[in-house]
Amino acid sequence: MMNVWTLFIPELYCLLMAVVFFGLAMSARPNPRRDYFAALFMAGVGVVVALACVRLEGTLFFEAYRVDLFSQVFKVMLAMGFFLVVCLCTELNGIEERHHPEFYLFLTTCTLAMMMLVSSVELLTIYVALELSSYSLYILVPLRRGHGVDVEAGIKYLMVGACASAVMLFGLSYVFGVTHTTYLVEIIHVLPGVIGTPAAIVGLLLVLCGFFFKLAVFPFHFWAPDVYQGAANQVTAYIATASKVAAVAIIMRVVALSGGSSKYLVDMLVTLSIASMTLGNLVAIVQKDMKRLLAYSSISHAGYVLIGILSMSATGYASAIFYALAYLVMNLCCFLVVVKVSHDGSDLKIAQLAGLHRRAPLLAMALMLAVFGLAGIPPTIGFTGKFLVFAAAMEKGYVALVIIAMINATISLYYYILVVKAAYLMEPDEELPRLPVSIPTKVLTVALVTAMVVFGVAPSYLLEVARAAARMLM
Amino acid sequence: MIVPYSHILMFAGILFAMGIFCAVARRNLIMMLIGVEIMLNAAGLAFVAAALRWQQLEGQVFVLFIFAIAAAEVSVGLALIVYAYRRTGSLDPETYNILRW
Repeated sequence: MMNVWTLFIPELYCLLMAVVFFGLAMSARPNPRRDYFAALFMAGVGVVVALACVRLEGTLFFEAYRVDLFSQVFKVMLAMGFFLVVCLCTELNGIEERHHPEFYLFLTTCTLAMMMLVSSVELLTIYVALELSSYSLYILVPLRRGHGVDVEAGIKYLMVGACASAVMLFGLSYVFGVTHTTYLVEIIHVLPGVIGTPAAIVGLLLVLCGFFFKLAVFPFHFWAPDVYQGAANQVTAYIATASKVAAVAIIMRVVALSGGSSKYLVDMLVTLSIASMTLGNLVAIVQKDMKRLLAYSSISHAGYVLIGILSMSATGYASAIFYALAYLVMNLCCFLVVVKVSHDGSDLKIAQLAGLHRRAPLLAMALMLAVFGLAGIPPTIGFTGKFLVFAAAMEKGYVALVIIAMINATISLYYYILVVKAAYLMEPDEELPRLPVSIPTKVLTVALVTAMVVFGVAPSYLLEVARAAARMLM
Repeated sequence: MIVPYSHILMFAGILFAMGIFCAVARRNLIMMLIGVEIMLNAAGLAFVAAALRWQQLEGQVFVLFIFAIAAAEVSVGLALIVYAYRRTGSLDPETYNILRW
């Protein structure tokens, strides 16, 4: 019996963290330093716990919950994302001090829900985990202290999110109606046989809608720019990284259900992928706000990840896992710079980056590398990710799709270079003081930059892990 | 089953479409939330029908969970709406349209 619960340790640990923050939220006097260090310490231990549990395998809760390498790798990524976001919270000026424990509490419950999401192999479990993570984020977005933008972002996120999850639930009811089971393992056997029937394909597509909302894929992307801009910088960093990673994981699980035999599903995914990439990249060009730009860039990156997923091969899934990890690191590096440059917690305009190379050379260098990584320039991890994804698609013969994706990558280079230009070539109107960069921030920046370059040049170890994880899906 | 499964699916589909219409067309945040609830109920109906068709209890269990989750959703949603109303004094979604492009 003891053995069963060891499988559940990362989640139990998250639950424990949530309880601690709940306790801290009850305390009468706000104490941001205490909250920050408690969060930092526990999140750091969380990464260690997740890493220690990476080799566990087994099933829990009447086989509704599977712990395998695939889920554990994603749990490590989620724990890392959570830890790094907490690292950004030294100056949590975007949120009122008395709300800090609640901020950490909802970040923790969201991480917990996403860890459960990547492990669930049963429709009801997936649905409950997804809703728990969404509701935590619905509360986090309007927590921002401020000027009314947060309310708007919160309302939009809630309304779009609630509709998306209702659509997904309707899809689940069709899938259940067609396959008469809620276990993914059994659905895998039944679904390819009935995938030709309209109810099955409509059901599967509607289910995917709910996840596409999380990933901000084209028809469900409306919330992303507004929420990115309206939420506090740290919350945005979390939504842009950890929640995207979890969405990639669950989309892979669901797409793998079809067994790669459905032409409709592939066509649909190709269309969505192209639409996301193109729309995201074209609209990003005109953005003035850094977080909005990153929002549109995240929409286009959702398109790239879909290329790996729609290849529906082991290589494709492995490349998508690798891409998710690369995206996590690059995006966190971008947000690190955003958070540090706008240390009063306001929205960062791209023009405000002017003169950054003199105000904080290290941050400017990190921003440049992260942005080049997002654009897919070697030798960063972003290039390797894109290369793997495109190679997986070429293997399956989707030449046109890869060409369109490459054109898109070139378009995206334009606005990424605008960011670098602002940081390196533009001079501010008035002389601005140097940005104070603390030692831990420097360490964190150097670590992220090293990770980006080292795993960009020598990705073989990570790739092996991604391949082994992807094999669990097939 | 007295009523054929396909009829119930059709009925659930109509209910779902009505929910979407309510959520999209209404100019009041609370009514939009109610629209979402109708969509959830349509899904619940389809689940019960499927449970009856295959004689499997999972569908019914799913509906129980939907009840609980819908309650959580309404409480989060209403809390947010109350907060928004206090800040802006309006329930019209048009008020919340400063962010564009």
